Amino acid sequence: MLARTATIFKWTLYCAAGLLCMFVQWLVLNRLHIWGLIPFLYPLIVAIPSTMEGPLFGSAYGLVFGVLSDLLLPAPIPCFYTLIFPFVGFCAGFISRNLIPVGLLCSLFATMVSFFLTDLFHTIVFWAQNQAAWRAAAWVGVREFCITLPLILLITPLFGWVYRTVHQDD
Amino acid sequence: MKDFLKNNGLWILAATAVISVALAMLSYFSATSSPLENIANTLASPFRSARTAVSSWVEDKQNYYRDTTDLQAENEALKQQIAKMESEIRQARADSEENAFLRDLLGLQQQRRDLSDFETALITERSTSNWASTLTLNKGTSHGIEVGDCVIDESGNLVGLISSVGASWSTVLNIIDTDTSIGAKVFRTEDICVAQGSFSLMSDGLLRLDYLPDNCQLMPGDLIVTLGLGGFLPPDLVIGSVQEVKTDDSGAASYALLSPAAALEDLTRVCVIKSFEIQS
Repeated sequence: MLARTATIFKWTLYCAAGLLCMFVQWLVLNRLHIWGLIPFLYPLIVAIPSTMEGPLFGSAYGLVFGVLSDLLLPAPIPCFYTLIFPFVGFCAGFISRNLIPVGLLCSLFATMVSFFLTDLFHTIVFWAQNQAAWRAAAWVGVREFCITLPLILLITPLFGWVYRTVHQDD
Repeated sequence: MKDFLKNNGLWILAATAVISVALAMLSYFSATSSPLENIANTLASPFRSARTAVSSWVEDKQNYYRDTTDLQAENEALKQQIAKMESEIRQARADSEENAFLRDLLGLQQQRRDLSDFETALITERSTSNWASTLTLNKGTSHGIEVGDCVIDESGNLVGLISSVGASWSTVLNIIDTDTSIGAKVFRTEDICVAQGSFSLMSDGLLRLDYLPDNCQLMPGDLIVTLGLGGFLPPDLVIGSVQEVKTDDSGAASYALLSPAAALEDLTRVCVIKSFEIQS
């Protein structure tokens, strides 16, 4: 059990790492077109720390980053990311606690789930707006996941470093 | 030696005098230089040449050093001059582009008296998500831009609508975005329809033309313009041209694929229509 100051320090570090990733996305990845799409880090920023912190804290972290993402990204409905990212955080935390132990494999699986949920939500919103495009959305989702996949190798160690820094006495 | 001079001194003196007189006579009567001078200079000539060669070499080295220093300074000055000129050329190129843009816009303004208030803006960012097609502009509320304002290129082709705006920035929802739905009409036949973005067409840079009348005789290449009813958009802004006419899955209605007239991928500067006269 961490002390209150250590907990604040931990979440400050997680947010700083997340903001660093967002900065990289904004500065570099938004200008990079691979396979016709830009690599999209946001689901990773939520999923990977959530695998380390579990479903409850993952959901809270997802909520905060969802709000931030809604302020910065275009979305088909208001609060799109605020709605989906807490669920992504919960699922990522659930996976690490019950299915796969924390690590690169867990990050990979959690990222896959996070992309699936985010893209599925996009597609459902389009469908609800009478603009069903299941096949096109699935194709975009697959390509988006594939081009973002290599970045797990950078993001996982970054958040892992934050986790180890705070929990080194455990 | 003392005895030699005592015994022969007189002879030596006489011989010297005779030789001197002979040399003087030779010098006086000679057409060229005197023999002694000739001998002396002949002997000195190689040394003089050597000295000249050495001084020439030293002078060459001095000149080389001075020239190199001068050239380096000149090179530095020229580099600075080139950098300055390149900067001026870049500025001139940007000015020239802006000039061409504004000239086209002036032509449009003269053609379209109803479009009264324009604001030109630079595109600072393109789509930040794979699920939407947007542009970010460098002007916002401080320049009088509002949500819903119409964005066009310099030829009057519709680019999109302002979807969100801040003090010094604004976001444009491109016409191919899924959230876009615009009242349109076929320029040739004046048939009324709706142009709207579709996610499955967005990656191809196309949009759909829906709600076509049953008797609509749409042809590929037909120009589609804004309808302008309701006062949300100015009328007759070019949306694009028909690429292909299709029938939907039910077979009951037809729709068309529309290719936007504005080159959305190549735009660097756009124009926001802040106000326009609503035609009755």
